[in-house]
Amino acid sequence: MIGLRRALIALGAGAFALGLAAIPVVLTSNHVRPRGLALAMFLAIGWSFTSVGLVLWWKRPQNPAGMLMSAVGLTWLVSSLSASSNGYLIFIGLAFGALPYGLLGLMLLSFPDGRLHTRLEWAVAIGAVLDVTILQWAPLFFLQFAHTSDCRRCQANPLLISDDSSLFHLLQKVNTGLAVILIAALIVALVKRWRSYRPRERPALAPVLWTGGAALAALAAAFTAALSGLNQASGGSAVSDIALLLVPYAFLGGMLRSRFTRAGAVSELVASLNAAPEHRRGLRDALADAFGDPSLVLAYWLPERERYVDAAGRDITLPDGSGHRTWTPVERNGAPLAAIVHDASLAEERDLLETAGAAAGLALENERLHVELRARVEELERSRERIIEAGLAERRKLERNLHDGAQQRLVALALTMRLAHDRVDHDPKGARELLEEAAVELDSATSELRELARGIHPAVLSERGLPAAVKALASRVPVPVQIVETPAERLPPVVETAGYYVIAEALTNITRYAHASTARVSVSRNNGSVTVEVTDDGDGGAEPAQGTGLRGLADRVAALDGRLEVESSAGHGTTIRARIPCVSS
Amino acid sequence: MARTVLIVDDHPSFRASARRVLEDAGYEVIGEAPDGASALAAIGAHRPDVVLLDVQLPDIDGFDVAARVTGHDDAPVVVLTSSRDGSDFGGMVIRSGARGFIAKAELSGPRLEALLT
Repeated sequence: MIGLRRALIALGAGAFALGLAAIPVVLTSNHVRPRGLALAMFLAIGWSFTSVGLVLWWKRPQNPAGMLMSAVGLTWLVSSLSASSNGYLIFIGLAFGALPYGLLGLMLLSFPDGRLHTRLEWAVAIGAVLDVTILQWAPLFFLQFAHTSDCRRCQANPLLISDDSSLFHLLQKVNTGLAVILIAALIVALVKRWRSYRPRERPALAPVLWTGGAALAALAAAFTAALSGLNQASGGSAVSDIALLLVPYAFLGGMLRSRFTRAGAVSELVASLNAAPEHRRGLRDALADAFGDPSLVLAYWLPERERYVDAAGRDITLPDGSGHRTWTPVERNGAPLAAIVHDASLAEERDLLETAGAAAGLALENERLHVELRARVEELERSRERIIEAGLAERRKLERNLHDGAQQRLVALALTMRLAHDRVDHDPKGARELLEEAAVELDSATSELRELARGIHPAVLSERGLPAAVKALASRVPVPVQIVETPAERLPPVVETAGYYVIAEALTNITRYAHASTARVSVSRNNGSVTVEVTDDGDGGAEPAQGTGLRGLADRVAALDGRLEVESSAGHGTTIRARIPCVSS
Repeated sequence: MARTVLIVDDHPSFRASARRVLEDAGYEVIGEAPDGASALAAIGAHRPDVVLLDVQLPDIDGFDVAARVTGHDDAPVVVLTSSRDGSDFGGMVIRSGARGFIAKAELSGPRLEALLT
């Protein structure tokens, strides 16, 4: 910023020096009349544009408006050299003569956000650049200055290729004719732009667009009236000059008006936040109105989830700033509180946005608590749906297991028993064999039913509590399990059941996937909660989001207002930890 | 001459038990099929007199298999079976073109004969 500041000061000093240098050139001119008025206009327009442009450039370095406005002023001052009688200076002055208008056109086209939006705007911009450079310069090589009516005592054109006034006039007509078309197209583009703005935005933009447009329109009128002559070629009519002089001041006025409008709106916002509840408006609506951005969205930071959510508690991705949307953070006591997601053009009002955010801090904090609650309710609803779905899936699985397992064995048993019954008289040996077969079948059916019953609910858990159930689980897995700690007293049944399934699922995962050599289980109770922790020394890298088992466990734990954590970096084993609230019974 | 039977069920244990029951009762079991597709192929190849057809098969529903193989003059007699109770299926058994239904646990020569005559 210090580099920019120095460069801008240097440019300002340069503009001042250029103005001073123009004074003797214009005052001693042998072809500019009246010299005093001409000098006044040169200096007023040149210095006004440069000074306002440099201030704007300093305040808004991202927006090209300041740079373009400064360039209008500087090129305008250089163009004053055409008042000289020196051939080189006249040439330079004339070469710069149309540049300020082209730059002004670009400034208007890119106002206020610094971007060109439509094909028409791009076409006008490219046409303007060509018209004020190549097409402006080409005729100058065929113009002998002394042959023009008002410059008879001027020096010869040092860069003259051919003294061909008919070619000069032809090129000049092409140049000014295109300028008229471009100015007309620019005015169409500005009117279209104007219509696209919301009514509340228009007052701030009007002065700039209308004075700039008027200056160029007056110039077009002058071009149309007379398409030849040194004065027209160097700078247009008096009306155009006066309108041009007003542009920087209109720009300043528009900026201040916009800022006052928004600052006023922020004051109203603060007042409305302090209003009685029945007069209080929604915070988002108030901010959207204050900044004239109906698309404004508030995102709330949920520290527990470490992400932003919208007002309905849904996750929200903040724009990365590359498109037309960006965001401004709102902090409270140094911690993130919310984000105001808004149109990128409002980025220039970031200080006001931050002020508004800070003023609305308490209200935002309140809304965040509501949103947090809503998010929690929504999460619980989703979790409840998943639990119900998981319950239905379990029932389907149970029905399938019963049908394919024990039921088939009992069917076979019935058929075998009937065969044995039919054979008992005429084939007692065969009947005995069938009965032995039936006994084996019956054992298998009993064993399958026992396994199934344990899957539905482990009887050892309800009868003898978590320590015994954990021991039974540990004895059935192939990996050595160290039981570090279990509570001496019985826990509430729902807590015991949830803890049991956390351990069972974790041990199943260790057996199937972890390639672990040992596992540790602990169940501890302190500060009103029970912590169930299962750790292994296996491969790690478990992804809770990808497995239905761990998500089902998380839902089961969340249903008790608890929380499931999984730590599983690759190569460092896995720890599954459930914290479940448990008041003393 | 003994009636020929095809047993269609996805549980090998039931197919083995059923084969023993039916052979004991004098039927000739000419084949077994574990699913609907292989049942259709076996019916075409062996042209059995009777098809003992499980309702719940892994691919084509037993009712669909029955509907496809019945309804013409030399069609086999289809008897549906299931470990569920026959009342679970309402009128679907008759609509499928099957002759009747026997619960798996109640399968016997006389029960089958009663349906066939």
